[in-house]
Order: sequence, then C-alpha cells, then structure tokens
Amino acid sequence: MAAGFKIAEPLEYHRSFLKENCRPDGRELSEFRTTTLNIGSISTADGSALVKVGNTTVMCGIKVELTNPLVEAPGKGFIVPNVDLPPLCSSRFRPGPPGEQAQAASQFIADVIESSEVIQTEDLCIERGKLCWVLYCDMMCVDYDGNVLDACIIALLAALKNTKLPEVTINKDTGSTRTSFCVFDDSILIVDPTAEEEGLSTSHLTVVTDEKERLCVVHKPGGTPLSAEKLQECIGRATARQREIQKLVDKVVHSVKTAQ
Amino acid sequence: MMEVCGSTNVSLREFGCEQTLLSRPDGSASFVQGDTSVIAAVYGPAEVKVSKEIYDRATLEVLIQPKVGLPSVRERSQEQCVRETCEASLLLTLHPRSSLTLVLQLIHDDGSRLACFLNAACMALMDAGLPMSCLFCGVTCAINADSEIITDPTAAQEKESRALMTFAIDSKEQRVMMSYTKGSFSVHELQQCIAVSQKASENIFQFYRDSVRRRYSKNL
Amino acid sequence: MFSGLREKVGQVLVPGDEFSLEVQETLSLTEPLKPEKVLLGPGLKRRGDRKLLVVKSGVLRHKQPHVFWVENHQRRYVPAKGETVIGIITVKSGDVFKLDFGGSEQASLSYLAFEGATKRNRPNVQVGDLVFAQFIVANQHMEPELVCVDSAGRANGLGVFGAGGLLFSVSLGLVRRLLRPRSDVLSDLQKLFPCELVVGMNGRLWVKASSVQQTLIICNLLQSCETMTTAQRQQLFRRAAQGAL
Repeated sequence: MAAGFKIAEPLEYHRSFLKENCRPDGRELSEFRTTTLNIGSISTADGSALVKVGNTTVMCGIKVELTNPLVEAPGKGFIVPNVDLPPLCSSRFRPGPPGEQAQAASQFIADVIESSEVIQTEDLCIERGKLCWVLYCDMMCVDYDGNVLDACIIALLAALKNTKLPEVTINKDTGSTRTSFCVFDDSILIVDPTAEEEGLSTSHLTVVTDEKERLCVVHKPGGTPLSAEKLQECIGRATARQREIQKLVDKVVHSVKTAQ
Repeated sequence: MMEVCGSTNVSLREFGCEQTLLSRPDGSASFVQGDTSVIAAVYGPAEVKVSKEIYDRATLEVLIQPKVGLPSVRERSQEQCVRETCEASLLLTLHPRSSLTLVLQLIHDDGSRLACFLNAACMALMDAGLPMSCLFCGVTCAINADSEIITDPTAAQEKESRALMTFAIDSKEQRVMMSYTKGSFSVHELQQCIAVSQKASENIFQFYRDSVRRRYSKNL
Repeated sequence: MFSGLREKVGQVLVPGDEFSLEVQETLSLTEPLKPEKVLLGPGLKRRGDRKLLVVKSGVLRHKQPHVFWVENHQRRYVPAKGETVIGIITVKSGDVFKLDFGGSEQASLSYLAFEGATKRNRPNVQVGDLVFAQFIVANQHMEPELVCVDSAGRANGLGVFGAGGLLFSVSLGLVRRLLRPRSDVLSDLQKLFPCELVVGMNGRLWVKASSVQQTLIICNLLQSCETMTTAQRQQLFRRAAQGAL
C-alpha cells in the first residue's frame, strides 16, 4: 500500500512525512546522512579521496602537471576542476558530452575555489613567468542520490589535503564546506536532500562557509523565493556542518599519517 | 519606445528598455544598464521535442550567447540560474507539453551582466504574453576593499571588488529568488546587500511598469 | 464588489498585480443586493477564493456587467474553443488531416467535417491548401480539433479557400481589432478598394483584390496599422486612396 502511494503521489507521500517533522528515510528535517571519507584510495593519482554521503558516492582524483603560466598572470598556477556525472551514477544522465548540470557543477566548484581561496594560485608558481603547477581535479560521481555538490566539495577538500607536490608544499589550505538545503512546498526547509527529495522540491540553496565562518558562496539558482529569516537559519546550520566536516577531514588525514 | 530611468537614492546606472524590437520571435526585449546591454528573444509556446516533453508543464530552455565565441561553462551555469528563476515566476502548468525558448544575446558587457540577463528575460517574457505569477528583477552588489556596497557595478568596479553578489528579487514580497555570489563576506554583509537589493528592486519594478505603460500608450 | 478592479479599467497592468474580490463591508440599502458573478477573460486568474491575479501585461478592459480581461500584444496563438482560424494542411493521413495553425501543436481535421462530405464523397483537399475552420476541441490537455461545418452541417463560410490571394501574419491584437463589431480599421479599408478578406483569430490574414498591386497595398497597409495611432492611420489610408503608394 505504502509503496503504491509513494509511486502514485510522490509529493503527497513526502508531505505526510514532513507534517510529522521527519523524512521517509527516518531522518529529521535538519539531519545529515552519515558521511564517510577515505583518502589516498587511488594510488596512481597524486591525491585522491572517496566520499560517501548516504548513498551518494563521489570520487576525486588530483593529477599534478608542470606547465607554463599565462602571459597575463605570470605569477599564478592553475586549478582545473571538472565534475563528471556519468550515466553510471543515475538513469537521469545520458552518455555523450557533459550536460547542463555537470557543467554548472564544474563552474560552481571553480567559483568555490576562487572565492574561498582554498589554494592561492600564486603558491602554485615555481618560477615566475616560466614554470608553474597545474592541478587537474576530477570529481566523478559513482552513485547519485542527491546533494552531489556537497559530496564533491568534501572529496575535493580531502583530496587536496592528500596531495603533495614535490619540493613544493601547499599549506595554506583553509577548509571550506558547503551545505545544501531544499525548500519544500515554498516553506519547509530540509538539509542534505536525497535525489528523490531534490526532484520534488521547489527550490535549492547552497551555502559555503570557511574556517573563519565567513561565507564564500550563497548559491541559489532560482526557484521559489526565500525570506531573510529562512536564509539566516540556513547559514547557521551551514556553519555547524562546517565544523563537523572539518573535524572529519582532520581525523582521517591524521589517521592516514599515523598509519604511514 | 526607448526610455531612461534616472538614478535615485540607491544608485543604479541609467536603464533603458525596448520591447518587441525583433520581428520573428514571439516576444523580445533589449535591456540596457549603463554600458551593459542584452537582447532577449522568446519563442513559444511551441512544439516540443519528445525527449524534452514534460506531461504537466511547459519545458523552458534558456540559451545565453556571449559577445564572441561559443557559450562556455560559465554561460551554462548562468543559464541554469536564469532558467530556474524564470520557471519559478512563470505559470508553466498552463501550457503543458509545449516548449518555451529564451535566447539571451550579450551585446556589451560592462559589469552586472547576470542582473541584466535577468531583467531582459523578464521584459521579453512579459512581451511574449506568457502567463506569470509575478515579475522578477536582477540586482548586482559589489563590496569593495573599503567594505562599501556598490549597486549595479561597472566592470571596473567588479574587478576591484572583494565580493560580488547577484540576486533575483520577486515583485510580490521582494524576497530572494536567486543568489549567485563570488568572493568571501560576512553574514552581516550578506544581509546588508539583500536589503540594498530589495530597495533597488522597487526602482526597477517601477521602471518595468513605466516601460510597459509607454508601450501600450497607443492603445489606451 | 470589484471596485478595485473597476478603478483600473483602461490602465496598464503588469503580472503580479493583485485584486481582492472581497464583498464590501458597507451594504447599500437603496440598491437591490444580488449575488454578483465576475467573468474573467485572458490575462486574469483566480488565486484562491478571494484573490484575483494579473498574469499578463496589458490594458485592463471591461464589459457590462462584470466581464474583465487584459488586452495585450501577444504574437503566439493559443487555441480557444469556438474561435475561427486559418490553417494550412500539412499531412493527409487516413481519416484526418493535420493542420498547422501557428500554435504549439498541429490540429486535426476529420475529412467528414466538411459540408456534404460522406464516406463515399470525400472532400477534395490537398496538402498545402488553406482552410478556414473552427475549433470544437481546444484545451491544454487534448489535441486541438477543427471542423469546417456548423452545428447544422452547413459550411457557413468555412472550408477550403485561397486561390490567387495572399496570406500574411499580423499580431493577435490587430486581428481582434479587425473583428470588433464596427471596426474602425475595417471601415477605413472598405472605402479604399473592393477586396476579399479572411481573418483568422490566429493572426493570419488572407487578402484578394482585383489586381496583385492592390492586394499588396492592402497587405502593407494592414501590417503597418499595428504601430499607428488613429490619426496616422487615416492619413495613410487617404494617401493610398489618392494613389500615392
């Protein structure tokens, strides 16, 4: 009965749960799914990480190469992020060139790197105007169950921590974490949405904060309008999540170091 | 049909707008903010490809064309922002199984381009006579090194800024429909920028109303 | 009731404007109290029980007793039941013809929906023919359907037409102006040349005058009418009558 109801009236099905302040998978409205992190999982990459947020799985590999800096910016290296959403991860993606969502995600990650100054591109310069590093950060979604941007950022962050450049070390990392929200029926706010919840909601909001609790990105690509109070609530929740993730990444990095 | 909106307390550059300037599309508009200029064209409701058909509402497609070259990843992410904003204000369920296409051609970029895209899109959708539940407008705010907030910045002001935010504001309750930010800023600064944008949106909506009135003046 | 709406008649509205349909708190003792019904035309939508929402930009119009609509300059046609349009036959498939009428999908027209048509006696209709037809099914959820007969089975002006004339498109606003009873544009045109004119609600016009030159003049005059005031138009028509064009 319940299964039939879920298929026939997905929106009503979710609404009946939300009325009781819980969600179909047993979470509360502002509860995240379990996040697991594994770093250094790809031995051939210069840095890598595997993140699972519930069922959503994202793999990030970083490849480091030497190149010539641009004439316009002789003192800067490059970071080239790329998000791949292959047909493997969900039936909604088709084979072929990257779709709008993948391209928008890549641009979003690039914006986050630039805004949060996770890595100063100046630090990637080896000799001004002659030689610099380029970091190819490929994020591949293995299983798509919503909130893929969150997972991408965590994976990227962990993989960057895992990356070591020969003779040049990057230590200026400032952790940044993002939190995704979904707005249901114009008024109910839920965090860490699953793919199903993403499809049914009327609006999405993403907040990226850094260690110093400054905001890096407040990204809301359209959808139903949001009042200032709701926005404030989201930001508060995002900073709390940032601390959790920071702890998780530090713990994993530390455990890897002690294991070596 | 060209007209200009003078700057009042919140400083916006001079605005200009012309509707129905193209003969082929079902609705078109050009929008000028200072030296930034965009032309928007809307086709629809028209026949939809079977692969893109949605059974209970119209499919909206947004295409952004840069001044030179092919659309890149940056255009894609802006397309997504404009599309989702339009989807929220249009009553798409009134035209199920049809397609709407919105083409935005950048004519000149002198800062605040995403805001200008949004404004041109809104005027073109209105011109095409598509049913909308409310209007929306785009406002860009830049925070410069001295922590001053500049609304509707030029390209030079954008370059010098520490943080840049673009909001889409709806006409009904002046709430934030879309936000796109760059650079880092505090929560307080964010709230200040939203408040300033909401104030600026009042001027823009008044400008919308004046341009539409001008357009229909021959039929009064 | 509707006083807020009445005040705005003749003014320009934009999407998002709201009106309340609340019953007035003070009741008039002299006027008889009747339950009033409001009829909403294009551009107005009911939101909930007591709210009225404007969804298109344009001029608010009113007709007695309580008919309201927004007049706008839309160019894309959306079919409505009972309206007559000019369509072009695109496909002949079995029992139905497919017609392009400028909307979001093609309309179907049964071969039996012509005057005097039977299973044996099929109408002579070819791909590319112009048809003047009326919608009997037109809603957002179903394929639109046209007929070329009225309820009594008579053609009544509907059917295949269009040998030797010229088909062109104008805005939907101009078409409605032409079809208005005692239309000013049409009466000006009548003084000019004798001509045949077919007006489709979908913005298509078909004209045939005694010579190709006159047909073209009428076509150009009508197309330029859209952006002119009454005085400008009358001046243009006078010049055309003097043979200046």
